[in-house]
Amino acid sequence: MAEDTFRRLLVVVCDLSPIWWGKQAANASENSDKMQPINAFLNNVLVFCNAHLMMKHTNELAIVCATSSKSQFIYPCPEDVSDANGEESYGNMDGKYEHFATMNNVVVDKVKNIIEEESADDVNLPENSATLLAGALSMTLCYIRQAERNCPVGQSMKARILVLKGSQDVSTQYMATMNCIFAAQKNNVTIDSCLLMSDSGFLQQASDITGGVYFKITKMESLLQYLLWMFLPDPNTRESLVMPGAVQIDYRAACFCHRTLVDIGFVCSVCLSIYCQLLPRCHTCQTRFKLPSAAMTRPKKKKKEKTAD
Amino acid sequence: MAADDDDESGYRWLNQYEKSWEAIQEDAQGGLQFVDDDFIQRARRRRLLAQPGNIRLGMMRHLYIILDLSKAMEEADLKPSRLFCTLKLLENFIVEYFDQNPISQLGIISTNNKRAEKLSELSGNPRIHASALTQKEKPNVCQGEPSLQNALETAKKSLRHLPGHASREILIVFGSLTTCDPSDIMETFESLKECKIRCSVIGLSAEVKVCKTLATTTQGTYDVILDEKHFRDILMQHVIPPAAKADAEAALIRMGFPQHLMSSTPSLCLCHLDSEWNKEINSSGYFCPQCNSKYCDLPVQCKACGLTLVSAPHLARSFQHLFPLAQFTEITTDEESHQKNCFGCESLLSKNLIYECPECSKRFCFECDLFIHETLHVCPGCSSTTSNAVIIKT
Repeated sequence: MAEDTFRRLLVVVCDLSPIWWGKQAANASENSDKMQPINAFLNNVLVFCNAHLMMKHTNELAIVCATSSKSQFIYPCPEDVSDANGEESYGNMDGKYEHFATMNNVVVDKVKNIIEEESADDVNLPENSATLLAGALSMTLCYIRQAERNCPVGQSMKARILVLKGSQDVSTQYMATMNCIFAAQKNNVTIDSCLLMSDSGFLQQASDITGGVYFKITKMESLLQYLLWMFLPDPNTRESLVMPGAVQIDYRAACFCHRTLVDIGFVCSVCLSIYCQLLPRCHTCQTRFKLPSAAMTRPKKKKKEKTAD
Repeated sequence: MAADDDDESGYRWLNQYEKSWEAIQEDAQGGLQFVDDDFIQRARRRRLLAQPGNIRLGMMRHLYIILDLSKAMEEADLKPSRLFCTLKLLENFIVEYFDQNPISQLGIISTNNKRAEKLSELSGNPRIHASALTQKEKPNVCQGEPSLQNALETAKKSLRHLPGHASREILIVFGSLTTCDPSDIMETFESLKECKIRCSVIGLSAEVKVCKTLATTTQGTYDVILDEKHFRDILMQHVIPPAAKADAEAALIRMGFPQHLMSSTPSLCLCHLDSEWNKEINSSGYFCPQCNSKYCDLPVQCKACGLTLVSAPHLARSFQHLFPLAQFTEITTDEESHQKNCFGCESLLSKNLIYECPECSKRFCFECDLFIHETLHVCPGCSSTTSNAVIIKT
């Protein structure tokens, strides 16, 4: 592997939506007295992150967390860690490689902080508030861009993103998320997505467009195994592995008027809104349409429209 | 010529010998960088600022590129020659054009030996145009004089029949200083104006009156290039959809949104039926919802029933033009903020070149500002706060 001069940067985007994890915790406590699901999740992710760093000494890692009120980098963290809690408390973890021990502790501390902040002010959050995936993705892309810029001369960076997400998509983030996906595609950043328990239409598209792997996990206990088997190998190595087959993605559009998926729709030539029927005027941009041929058959209706305004 | 080009010295032959090695400097980490990096980047930003927002754009573009293949294109003032340089840049242009205008179409017309020849018909397939261009990548292509009128008439013939909602455009890359026309070219200009065809010209040598008249009559733009870099910048400005004419019609266009399906029986697709080689029989593809013909790639216009087939992400690609991101304001004062790092990339913000989003007042470094406005089109700050998470989606 002498010819391999790439620095591989992996950015893990974790969904820490307090509502979703709260529900998981509630479910778990019913059946048994096992570990809190978020703790188990965090342990698995950290093992995976350590494994990524162990693969090669040039491998790099970043972790971004997204909740329903903000998205934030938790590793590498902007503030200096040593002055917050003291270097010593992190260093001596019987025999553990120091770098990993520090990283793990920083991540756990940060996540604790985030959850505490969230629980302090999430009283007025609506039940269905969604994780700010678009925000986390856009930050990640900026970070990757900066990392590529700062790459030492003679080496090049290959970056990919792994999204771990459990909560639902919201349609309000559609445009921002799609823009992120296109930017990732343009910069050759692969987006892998590992969905916890429920499917996500956004991430299906993201992985399909950028050539990543999309996988839904139905058992949280097996998270680590899936992570190590499917998401640890980089996209080049995956070619020689047997990966789960591509899912059929529904690229049909939803019409703006009834939110139903359409096979044949009508698109406004000005603002590209999609409708499932002919309309005299666009709801989005208020443009009046010249009705093609239909105007000939229904002249009365058109007249009425005019007088109504 | 635009005002922002005035700071660059006029003619190349009046310049000093270019000591390109002196423009390189070692930075703190020992990496090499251009001294005038900062200057170039400010110019890039200025160009971004110049883009108007909130106007109606011609989204369904139908563009003919008229490529001059006359003797004048053999000049070597662009390296290695005007022709090769133009072809290379046009290739990039085509890729960018279809990336940002996925439901638009493009065609190429060449002119030499006083004639005009259609290299590729209007179509939405970038590969056809790219291969048409590569065919011209050989010596002795450039011959005789160009004919502006013949080329314009050829383009007009296919553009005039397009429906009223389509944005009709011609982009002329003109190296020659002369044109050989069969009749009065001014009449052609008038008829182009009547057909609402917007003609823009990029001159490779010097300003020519006839090109300038063409651009002003048809409300296009006329630019004369300074060097290769300037050429590329000007060409890339034509990737952005232009403002629609005030009297442009609007219409609802019928489009199909096919699903990617696996059928039980393998079949030929309609898109590769014409090509001699590479006929693939496979079972998956996009099926036209109207006539059930199969295609391997979208967007495409169905060859059997004429329905435009697209997918939702294709339409989403155009949103960056329709809903542009607000420009960030540069922070010039020394006012201290609690935010020490760039919100996007976490790098430490330097004293100067700090930009602030007017919506969420998060601060960004210079590089992130450019990246966000040129590629990302999403403000990480605005999309990371709940109050602003709802982005213009009425």
